Amino acid sequence: MIVLGGGNTAMDCCRSARRLGGEDVKVIVRSGFEEMKASPWEKEDAQHEGIPILNYLVPKSFQHEGGKLTGMTFEKVKAVYDDKGRRSLVPTGEPDESFECDQVLVAVGQENAFTWIERDIGIEFDKWGMPKLDEKTLQSTLPRVFFGGDAALGPKNIIWAVAHGHEAAVSIDKFCQGESLADRPPPHMNLVSQKMGIHEWSYDNNVVPDARYAVPLKELKLALKDIRTEVELGFDPQLAWKEAQRCLNCDVQTVFAPKLCIECDACVDICPMDCITFTPDGEEAEVRARLNAPSDNASQDLYVGAGLKTGRIMAKDEDVCLHCGLCAERCPTGAWDMQKFYLEMTHAGPGCRSRETPRQAA
Amino acid sequence: MTYLAKPKLHHPDLPKNALGLTRRDYEGTISTLCAGCGHDSISAAIIQACWELAVQPHRVAKLSGIGCSSKTPTYFLDKSHGFNSVHGRMPSVLTGANLANRELLYLGVSGDGDSASIGLGQFAHSMRRGVNMTYIVENNGVYGLTKGQFSATADRGSKSKRGAVNTDEGIDLACLAMQLGASYVARSFSGDKHQLVPLIKGALTHPGAAFIDVVSPCVAFNNHEGSTRSYDYVRHHNEAVNSLDVITMHKEITAEYPPGSLQEVRQHDGSVLRLRKLADDYDSSSRIAAMSYVQSHYARGEIVTGLLYVEPDAIDLHEHLGTTMRPLNELGDKELCPGSAALAQFNASLR
Amino acid sequence: MKTLQATNDFVIKFANVNGSGSASANTLFAKSIARMGVPVSPRNIFPSNIQGLPTWYEVRVCEAGWNARRGGADLMVAMNPQTWEKDVAEVTPGGYLFYDSTRPMPAGKFRDDILVIGMPLTEICNATYTDPRQRQLFKNIIYVGALAALLGIELAEVEKLIGEQYKGKEKLLEPNVKALRMGHEYALAKLPCPLGLQVQRADKVGDKVFLEGNNAAALGAVFGGATVCAWYPITPSSSMAEAFAKHCRKYRMDKETGKNNFAIVQAEDELASIGMVIGAAWNGARAFTCTSGPGISLMSEFIGLAYFAEIPATLVNVQRAGPSTGMPTRTQQSDVLLCAFASHGDTKHPILFPQDAKEAFEFTADALDIADRLQTPVFVLTDLDIGMNERLCDPLTWDDARTYDRGKVLTKEQLDAGARFGRYLDVDDDGITYRTYPGTHPSRGSFFTRGTSRDRYARYTEEGTAYVDNMQRLLRKFETAKHFMPKPVVRPAAKPSRYGAIYYGSTAPAMEEALALFEADGIHLDALRVRAFPFQDAVIDFVNDHDHVFVVEQNRDGQLRTLLVTEGALDPARLGAVLHYDGTPITARFIHGDIAKRLSALQVTPLRRTVAGGASGE
Repeated sequence: MIVLGGGNTAMDCCRSARRLGGEDVKVIVRSGFEEMKASPWEKEDAQHEGIPILNYLVPKSFQHEGGKLTGMTFEKVKAVYDDKGRRSLVPTGEPDESFECDQVLVAVGQENAFTWIERDIGIEFDKWGMPKLDEKTLQSTLPRVFFGGDAALGPKNIIWAVAHGHEAAVSIDKFCQGESLADRPPPHMNLVSQKMGIHEWSYDNNVVPDARYAVPLKELKLALKDIRTEVELGFDPQLAWKEAQRCLNCDVQTVFAPKLCIECDACVDICPMDCITFTPDGEEAEVRARLNAPSDNASQDLYVGAGLKTGRIMAKDEDVCLHCGLCAERCPTGAWDMQKFYLEMTHAGPGCRSRETPRQAA
Repeated sequence: MTYLAKPKLHHPDLPKNALGLTRRDYEGTISTLCAGCGHDSISAAIIQACWELAVQPHRVAKLSGIGCSSKTPTYFLDKSHGFNSVHGRMPSVLTGANLANRELLYLGVSGDGDSASIGLGQFAHSMRRGVNMTYIVENNGVYGLTKGQFSATADRGSKSKRGAVNTDEGIDLACLAMQLGASYVARSFSGDKHQLVPLIKGALTHPGAAFIDVVSPCVAFNNHEGSTRSYDYVRHHNEAVNSLDVITMHKEITAEYPPGSLQEVRQHDGSVLRLRKLADDYDSSSRIAAMSYVQSHYARGEIVTGLLYVEPDAIDLHEHLGTTMRPLNELGDKELCPGSAALAQFNASLR
Repeated sequence: MKTLQATNDFVIKFANVNGSGSASANTLFAKSIARMGVPVSPRNIFPSNIQGLPTWYEVRVCEAGWNARRGGADLMVAMNPQTWEKDVAEVTPGGYLFYDSTRPMPAGKFRDDILVIGMPLTEICNATYTDPRQRQLFKNIIYVGALAALLGIELAEVEKLIGEQYKGKEKLLEPNVKALRMGHEYALAKLPCPLGLQVQRADKVGDKVFLEGNNAAALGAVFGGATVCAWYPITPSSSMAEAFAKHCRKYRMDKETGKNNFAIVQAEDELASIGMVIGAAWNGARAFTCTSGPGISLMSEFIGLAYFAEIPATLVNVQRAGPSTGMPTRTQQSDVLLCAFASHGDTKHPILFPQDAKEAFEFTADALDIADRLQTPVFVLTDLDIGMNERLCDPLTWDDARTYDRGKVLTKEQLDAGARFGRYLDVDDDGITYRTYPGTHPSRGSFFTRGTSRDRYARYTEEGTAYVDNMQRLLRKFETAKHFMPKPVVRPAAKPSRYGAIYYGSTAPAMEEALALFEADGIHLDALRVRAFPFQDAVIDFVNDHDHVFVVEQNRDGQLRTLLVTEGALDPARLGAVLHYDGTPITARFIHGDIAKRLSALQVTPLRRTVAGGASGE
C-alpha cells in the first residue's frame, strides 16, 4: 500500500490502512520530510507505527498487469531555493525508483464544494466557487445566510471556526434586532495586578524550559488491531500539570510606571532575555538598534516608558519577554508590576446591541 | 530576593565572546540581596566586564569578606572558585591565594564596613604590597546586614534613615589606596555601567594592585533624603573626570578622538587604557595631583569618579619577592625537597 | 673549703648583659666542649629586650648525655653587675665564681664557701684595643680563652671553631684567635688552673648535631614542601621564619632563573599571617606560619574558618609563658588547650608534640602532609626551650623515597573522567572529602568556600540535619586523624609497675633523666611520651593499665591532663598532675622529687579513693 501526500490526511490514511489489514504501508511524498504539511507529532505517530515516510520522490507512473495494479515509479528530486527563498524540486538525475504495491491512496488535499447550494437562491460565489462574504460579519450576499468554519473563508483550524461562530452569532443577533451589522461593540479588556507578596505572584511565573511532554500511547500491538481503539491515552494528572507548567503566561503583562522608577538598573540586570533598556530617546529604528539586545522584529511593538528623572526612556522589547516577573520582583519601588490581561469577547445577546446600558466589568 | 532560579533561557541573539561564551555563562546563582541593591548592578558590571574581556571563568578566583557586598561573589562567575572568608580579612586570604598561583585572576569584593572599618588594616597592607588583584569595594556608607548603622565611609553630616547625623569623618578609600601605593585607582557609581564596566576591565588587565571604589546605594537603609549615597544624591554630585576604553592586545585600535583629549596607557600585558578627558584639569598619571583634585572636589560636595590614578609600570608582589614564574602550587617534590644528600651536608655543618 | 670536683659533669652559667655580644662567645664555649666528644646542653635565659638587661647562658656538661636543664650553677661567670648578688648566691657551695676584677670589689660582695677567680678582663682589653666596640666583643673571647685553660678545654678545638665561623672573613679570624690565646695564656699564668671542674675528651657525642629547634623546624618546612610562609614577628618564633628564609635562599632558588620557589611575607599581624596561609593552602600551595601563644589567640577566628571550611594550614607554635604577654622570653607548655580547641563553636585540631630539634624537623614536615591529608589546621607545638636553644640531637634524616601526600585533590583528568564531586561529600567514610584547586577545570569542580554551614555539595544551608551531618563527619575525620599522627613512645620500666607517667614535648629530656633516677632508686615507673593529639588508643590504654599515672607538664593547670580526662573519658583521680611553670625549663631533679613524694604518699593511702561507692571500704 502506498499513500501519496504529506499532510495530516495522509497520516490518517496510512495509519488507518495499517489497522485495516495493510501489511506493507508506506508514505511517499514529493517534498522533503521537514517541509511536510503534517504536524510533527502526526509524523512521529505514523513512524511509531512502523510506517516509513519516503521523501523527495515525485510520482511518474503506475504499473499494472492484466488490469491489476502492481507498482509505482517515482523520479528522485532535490529541493533548490532561489534568491527569494522559493523552492523548486529539481530532478537529481539519479535512476527512478519503483515500489511494488497493490493499492495507492491519493491523499493530496481537499477543497470546498458547494454543489448542494442552488446557484439561484441569492448566494453569490466567487471564481473559486466560494461564497462571497463580508469577512467581518460573515454575512453572505443573501442577508439571512451566514457562513462559518472551513465553508466561510477556506480551510483553517477549529479555533477559527469557534471565532466565526461568535462573530456570526453577533451578526445574526443584530440582524434580527434590525441593527447595523457593521456597528459592533469592541471586546472588553482589563489588567489586574498579580502581586501577592515580596516574591509571590498569583500566576506561575517559574519559567520551565521543559520540552513538550509526549502523550502516552496505547501499546502498538493493541492499537493496530482495531481501528476503533483510541491510540492516545491522554495525560494523567501529574503529567498534565507538568505540561501546563510550560505555559508562557502570554496573558500576564509587564506594566511600567515611570514616576516610581529610580533607575537603579535592577530590572535590567535581572532580565534573562535582556529585553529592558534605559537609554536616551530617539527614533524607533535607531532606538531598536541600540537596545541591550537589538530588537529586530519590527512587527512587535516596543513598550516605552518616558518621564524618568534622568530624561531617558525605558524601552522594552516585548518580542522576547518570558513574563517571568523577575523585573517586578527586583524593582524596589514597584515601578514594574505584572498584570494579567483579561479579554471578554462581545457576545450575542443584549451586550452586542447598540442601545445598551454599560456592561459590568468581567 | 526571588527564590526561583533565573531562567536559563536567554535572548536568541545573545552575542558570544572569543571563547564562544555568552554573558549568561558568567552569571552565578540568583542574588538574595534586597530589590534594587546597587551591589547587584556591580555584579552585573563584573559579569559584563569578564565577558567582554573573554576571561576564562574558571581562571578567576573570587574572594570576599563578610557583609552584603561579600555575599555577591555567589552571584557571578559560578565556574570560578569562590571564598567567603571572615570579616575584614579578605585581603590576606587573597594575598595568600595569589602567592600560591600567580596565573589566576584575583577578584576581591568587599564593602565599606569590611574594608574601611574592621578590615582597614588588611586593606591598607594589600595595597602597600602591590598584590596583583582587582579589589572592588561596594560602598554604600552603611551596615546593611545589621540594619542601617553608619559605616566608616559615611560622610560627615550625612543622615541615617532614622535621622541620626554622622559626626565622624568619612574615610575615602580611593584616596587611601592612592596614598598606600595602589597602582590603579578608580571610583564609579553602580548606577552607571557605561563608566563602571570599562573601569573593571581596566582593573582586571592591570598588572598590580587595582582598586575600585564603587558608590552603591543601599535601597533599604541609605537611599533617603539627607543621605549622600542615594541614587539621587550621587547622580547630582557625580563629577566624572574621564571615560575609559580598554583595548585588549588582540583588538585593533580604530576609534578616533580629537587630539589632546586622549591619553593612552599601555600596560604590561599589551592592553591599552584609552582615557578620554572629561575634566580638562585632571591628570590621572600623577598620584599627588589626583589626591589633591579628589580632596578639593570632595570639599565642594562633589564625588569625583573615573580612573583616578594609573601607573602603567606597576610592580606586583611577586616581582618584589622574586617568585618563580611557575605557580608555586604546581611545584612538586623534585623542585621543593632538597633531599638526603643536602641534609647530610647540613648535619655536617652542625657538629 | 672543699671545692667541687667533677669531670664532664657540671653546670657553668654565664651572667651577661644583653647586647654585649656575649652570645656568640658563649656558644663557641659550649660547642668546643661538644667537639671534645663531651655532651653539652646550653640554654639561653634572656629578657624581652635588645640591650642592657640581664641575660644568662647556662651550659650543662654531662658525659651521661642528659640534655635537660640540671639546675644550679657550679661555675658562675659573673659579667653583669646588675645581677651580681643573685648570681653569686646561686653558685653551688664549693663551686666557683669567675669575674672581671678590673674594678675592686669589697669582700662582702663574695662568699666564703666558693672559690673566687678574678681576672682583669677590661684592663686587658683596654690595654690591647682602642675601639670601644672591639673592647667589648673581645672581652668575651678573652674569657672563653681563660675558661678553656681553667676547665681543660682543648684550645685547638676552640680555634678550629673560630676558623669555621670566620671562614672567608679572615680579617676577623686573626684578632679573634689572638684574643682567645691572650685569655688562655693569662689564665695559665695567673689563675688556679686547672679547676676542680674539668672537661676531658670522650667519645659520647658521636654523630650528634648541635641544633636549635626553630632552625630545625624551618628546615622541616623546606623539606616538607612548604612554599608559602606568612608570619608576624613574635618571640620565641621569629627565628624560625628567619631560618626558613635562610634555608630557602640556599635550597629553593631555581638554578636557571635565579627565581624563588617560595614566597615569604612578613604580614601586618597574625590575623593576616594565618589569612595568607589559608588563602595559599586553599589555592593548593603548602603554607605555614610560625607564632607563639598570643598569635594563636589572634588567629583563632581564622582557625575556626579553616577547620569548618576544611582548608589545610600548618601552624608552628613556639610556646612561651602566658597568659597575655606573660613572660615572653620564658618557656612553658601552656597553649595545649588553646591549640586543641582554638576558635569558637565546636572545634578540635590535631597537634604534634616534638621533643627536640630532630622531631621539630620531622614533625613540621609531617604536619604539612597531615594538613593536606586531613584538610584542617595542624599544630606543631614546640616551646622556647626547644625552639631557641641549640641542643645535641641525632642527625636529621630524610628518606628520599618519600613523596608528599597532597591528600584528596581531584585533578582535571579525574574531573574529565567523570569523578563525582561534592566538596563535602564523604565517599569513602573516613570523614575526609575531595577538594579541587581553583582554576582546575573549565566547567567542573568549582565550589564556594565559606565559614557558614553548607550541605555536602558546598551549598549554603542552615538546615539542622545538614549541619549535624557535617559536624559528625568532622568528628569522623578527627578519628581518622589518629592514623596519620605520630604514635606515642612507651618506655616500660624494668619491672611491671602499677604506676605510670605521661609526658610530652620539651619535658622529655628531664623526664628521661628522672626515669633513670627512679630506676637507680629501685622505683619502677612505666612512661609514655605523647606525641600527638588526638590521642591514639595506646595512650588511653596506658592510663587504664595503671593504677595511677602522673602527667608531667610545664603549665599551671595540667592542660594535657585535662585533655586526657575529657577525650579519654578517664577518671581524673587516677591522673596526678606534676607541674612546673615558673618559666624555666623543667628539671629531672624536680620531677624526681615531686613524683617520689607522691609515690610514697600513694603507698600508704588506698588507691582510687574517689571512685564512686567508696572503694576503700570506709
